[in-house]
Amino acid sequence: MTEELKFGGHISRQFDEELDEIRSRVLKMGSLVEEQLEKTLTALREMSPASISGVSKLDRKVNKMEMKIDEECTQILAKRQPAAGDLRLIIATSKSVRDLERAGDEAEKVAHMVKRALENDTSPNLYKGLQDLVEQVEELLHATLDTYARMETRSAVHNMRLDQAVDAEYGRVIFRLVEIMKNDSDSVSDALDVMWAARSLERIGDHCINICENVIYLVEGEDVRHTKFKEIEDQLS
Amino acid sequence: MTERFQTVGNPLLEDPKMRVRNASVFYADKQAIFDVDLDIGKNQVISMIGPSGCGKSTFLRCLNRMNDTIDICRVEGQLELDGQDINDRKIDVVELRARVGMVFQKPNPFPKSIYENVAYGARIHGLTDNKVQLDDLVEQCLQRCGLWKEVKDRLHEPATGLSGGQQQRLCIARAIAVNPEVILMDEPCSALDPIATATVEELIHELSQNFTICIVTHSMQQAARVSERTAYFHLGKLIEVNDTSKVFTNPEHQLTEEYITGRIG
Repeated sequence: MTEELKFGGHISRQFDEELDEIRSRVLKMGSLVEEQLEKTLTALREMSPASISGVSKLDRKVNKMEMKIDEECTQILAKRQPAAGDLRLIIATSKSVRDLERAGDEAEKVAHMVKRALENDTSPNLYKGLQDLVEQVEELLHATLDTYARMETRSAVHNMRLDQAVDAEYGRVIFRLVEIMKNDSDSVSDALDVMWAARSLERIGDHCINICENVIYLVEGEDVRHTKFKEIEDQLS
Repeated sequence: MTERFQTVGNPLLEDPKMRVRNASVFYADKQAIFDVDLDIGKNQVISMIGPSGCGKSTFLRCLNRMNDTIDICRVEGQLELDGQDINDRKIDVVELRARVGMVFQKPNPFPKSIYENVAYGARIHGLTDNKVQLDDLVEQCLQRCGLWKEVKDRLHEPATGLSGGQQQRLCIARAIAVNPEVILMDEPCSALDPIATATVEELIHELSQNFTICIVTHSMQQAARVSERTAYFHLGKLIEVNDTSKVFTNPEHQLTEEYITGRIG
């Protein structure tokens, strides 16, 4: 499509409303995952697990929203037989909510690990590096939801760069933890816990990138999964 | 002079069955089709879609000169069947319409028996030498259209006693009895229920092994299901021609997108 993708303007206004409803629900779902990360970040900043209560409740809400949005997508496929941009919106959305749900699961894992660490007086030396990683992942998630809201490919590519930074930060966290474990074998158990949390954060970044790829498919009709970053950049420039 | 509209996608093919160049159609002074270039592939199904009045049926009717029957209608441009100009004065129109058969929106069986409906064309074109051969041909055509089992015990009863779906399949059997090369179908399922529609669509798929089929349809899902290529017409212009899979997932032209997503009708 050479011209801008639009989602309104159907002869059936009811269809316009159904598509609007789905898109805003996805953003609401994403904001719940953001809230999970935010609670974890507050806990790390304040060195207190208080803010983490309620994360599991948020995750249950995220799960319910995934089912609700999927049901709405199924209804649209059955009732409207969408084509072209509308079809791509439904497919991309249905895939993206799965990624958001998994991101929510990962966020819950991170929160519980941080809570455990704070409650068990784990040495702050082990998890202090996690704060930067949480901040970066939260930024990436926020930018990804923004990309979905605006259906914009340039920012999708920009987010892929943010994810590269997340991967680099993840690498630094792991390197540091390995160094600590080498010098202090008593810390291995706690360090492994932090490592799993870092791994979960890195996975959230990957889910964000899946969503960005879905947006590129939706806007351009191009499937860029399993394509090198440089090729995606060239393809979209 | 206005600039000529450029169709997007792939309207042209190598070694097509029918070749249309610069085709325009006028009803008296009013132009209904503007400079269409389109190739129709051999043993392929191509569907023509577009809003009412966009010219898709008018275009279809150019392909076997059905527009000749309308006094005020004038067709310009080059239309070829296997490289032969179909508007050439030397062309016998009856012969042309045997090679390029047609099935209409409303089933229109002759007010004769089921048997006679299929046998009629073959008889006037002298395609069989005797009754046995003719019986064979009638059976074969009814078999191919999936009607044989349903009608074999009442071949000599009036065709008008059949259901709408059966009548339409009979009309297709009648069209293929004269061994055409191309079959034009003008909304062949719009008067049929969903089950009869599915049967006709299955038939279209089977016939496409041996025939070139051009179908005009208002049902976009039908175009998506039955055809390999789709042509989108808008206000007499051929806007886009592409593989059907592309048209329905990622059309090139904004107007195609707007039509198939229900934004213009």
